Amino acid sequence: MGSDQVVSSHPQPVSSSVPLTAETEARLQSVNEAEILVGIPSYNNVDTIGHVVRAVSAGLAKYFPGHRAVLVNSDGGSTDGTAEAVSQVVVDYGALLISDQQNPLQKIITPYQGIPGKGSAFRTIFEIARRVNAKACAVVDSDLRSITPEWIELLLRPILEEGYDYVAPYYLRHKYDGTITNSVVYPLTRALYGQRIRQPVGGDFGFSGRLTEHYLDQHVWGSDVAQFGVDIWMTTEAVASGARVCQSFLGAKIHNPKDPSSDLSAMLMQVLGAVFTLMESHYGVWSNVQGSSAVKLYGFQYEVGVEPINVNVERMIALFRQGLIDLEPIWEQALGRDIVSQLNSLRSVSASDFRITDDLWVRVVYEAALAYHDRRIPREHLIKSLTPLYLGRTATFVLETQGLTTMEAEERVEQLCRVFELNKSYLIERWKPERQ
Amino acid sequence: MDFIRTALLAPLEQLGVQIVAVLPNILASIIIVGVGFVGAWGLGHLVERVLRVVRLDQLCDRLGVNSVLGRGGVKADPSYLVGRAAYWAVVLFAVIAGLGALNLQPINHFAQSLLAYIPHVLIAGIILVAGYLLSNFVSQGVLIAAVNAGLPPARLIANLSRWGVQLFTLAMALEELGIAASVVVVGFGITFGGVVFATCLAFGLGAKDIAKDYLERTLSTRGRDQSPDDLHHL
Repeated sequence: MGSDQVVSSHPQPVSSSVPLTAETEARLQSVNEAEILVGIPSYNNVDTIGHVVRAVSAGLAKYFPGHRAVLVNSDGGSTDGTAEAVSQVVVDYGALLISDQQNPLQKIITPYQGIPGKGSAFRTIFEIARRVNAKACAVVDSDLRSITPEWIELLLRPILEEGYDYVAPYYLRHKYDGTITNSVVYPLTRALYGQRIRQPVGGDFGFSGRLTEHYLDQHVWGSDVAQFGVDIWMTTEAVASGARVCQSFLGAKIHNPKDPSSDLSAMLMQVLGAVFTLMESHYGVWSNVQGSSAVKLYGFQYEVGVEPINVNVERMIALFRQGLIDLEPIWEQALGRDIVSQLNSLRSVSASDFRITDDLWVRVVYEAALAYHDRRIPREHLIKSLTPLYLGRTATFVLETQGLTTMEAEERVEQLCRVFELNKSYLIERWKPERQ
Repeated sequence: MDFIRTALLAPLEQLGVQIVAVLPNILASIIIVGVGFVGAWGLGHLVERVLRVVRLDQLCDRLGVNSVLGRGGVKADPSYLVGRAAYWAVVLFAVIAGLGALNLQPINHFAQSLLAYIPHVLIAGIILVAGYLLSNFVSQGVLIAAVNAGLPPARLIANLSRWGVQLFTLAMALEELGIAASVVVVGFGITFGGVVFATCLAFGLGAKDIAKDYLERTLSTRGRDQSPDDLHHL
């Protein structure tokens, strides 16, 4: 499979709903139509993007040789030669035993416009997908080290052949990997929308052309979604819009460590802020959902040993207790006296007996969602003040699951999810929809 | 007879002429003040009703204004207070305008200087209210950030930020009012500089090991390798 690419620069507004550069417009003219589109958002990923592009190219050549495909690199102004690395990738198809090359892979390397962030990069990818009339699309992170050609098949085939609109990733992870996902995002999303999508903020997704149109029609591109909340937004929009959703088992996800300057509270702000904001716009959907149902999982599942993770439980408990002392008035205002008095009972218990129970944690999360909705305190302060509480809950999870296998720890997460579902009426009864 | 005319009637006649000359002004003044009171009553009620509709009381409750008022012994809610303030502002304007209508030189001077000073009082009031709200917001944000960073004196840091903003606001308000402007600027400079200097000294002398440790952890990659957790939260 050969490749043909263009690197476009100097953004110039042209007549389309999402502005594209003149070079990208010209490139689109030559590409015309494509059945498959794979997007890679990037910003200074020269070390890893070559591997990602090779895996995508090999995956498309191996599994979709008869389809017209286009690879889009939507770049945020990298200064380390990321765009050049994408354009110069050469794949030795012979070594991969791939011989059936019917359609050359087209490449479009373009800067995106708008607020700097992953969401704006995705918006440009969606627009190009609409313009080339793509039937199936996938997006993969540019810092992946563990991506293989099989990922492309697993993300695209359910769309092309099984009629799904959205494919969420399912990774093999350590029991302490993804603790925000395990303790809040997965249980809350599952209880709200009734679909058991295990990795709603995975970062690598497949989606149909129909869903692309829906995404582009949403007026969210000036909000936080344009920055970092785009992953949970895509999943939630897919589920709330009634799209057919499935999951694909991709194995382990190994990627470059995130920017060390991005702290935990900022991460919570991005993800929880997006979840709570989406609750406001989809009240009509989630308020009518009861229980949850399993979501089809594609791919060959296996278990391997994953990298051990160091966890300092004492430090987490110490931060929780400092929050209990210093942030008590803020928590009382946001979450109510009842919750704070229950939390206060944890002031003096020993580290080994420290537990934030499932019931209490669910009350905290639901009350935080209500406080966000009612604007009881400034929203950013609300979510950032939850950081010590989240650390306390994470410490509880670590204490409860130390010595358990990944599967046994997974059952513990499922147990928490059931408590979220059982207590959903608490949230519905207190939510005031007229304030929307 | 002439004596009576010149000694009694003439002054009375002159007084009558003067009274007749001033009477329209007095009448106008009474009307202005009366209309002002009625207008003030109407505007005060209107402002109060509008503020209740836009839920000012709930907003102030969230911002902590109500609790501060309560601590100061004020039991009325903010909508009522702003309505009363509007009432008295209109009454004040009406009285000044009424006095001006008398067209008496000393009263005119007084009214003009009072009118010229009112904008400064209003601006100073706005500065104080905005500064108070900003100081609450800033100190809450600082407190949360300090707790999340695991800094033990989180409350002290938050209080310092609150006092800093309030001190700055007070200096601005006093300067706006023209009260010992140069003294306020110099006093603020000395106080603020003193606080910063004292903090630096306290940190440098009392917590030099913590400072060294913090800088090492922040600036060197060696510190990152010694991070107590390698949890991936997402």
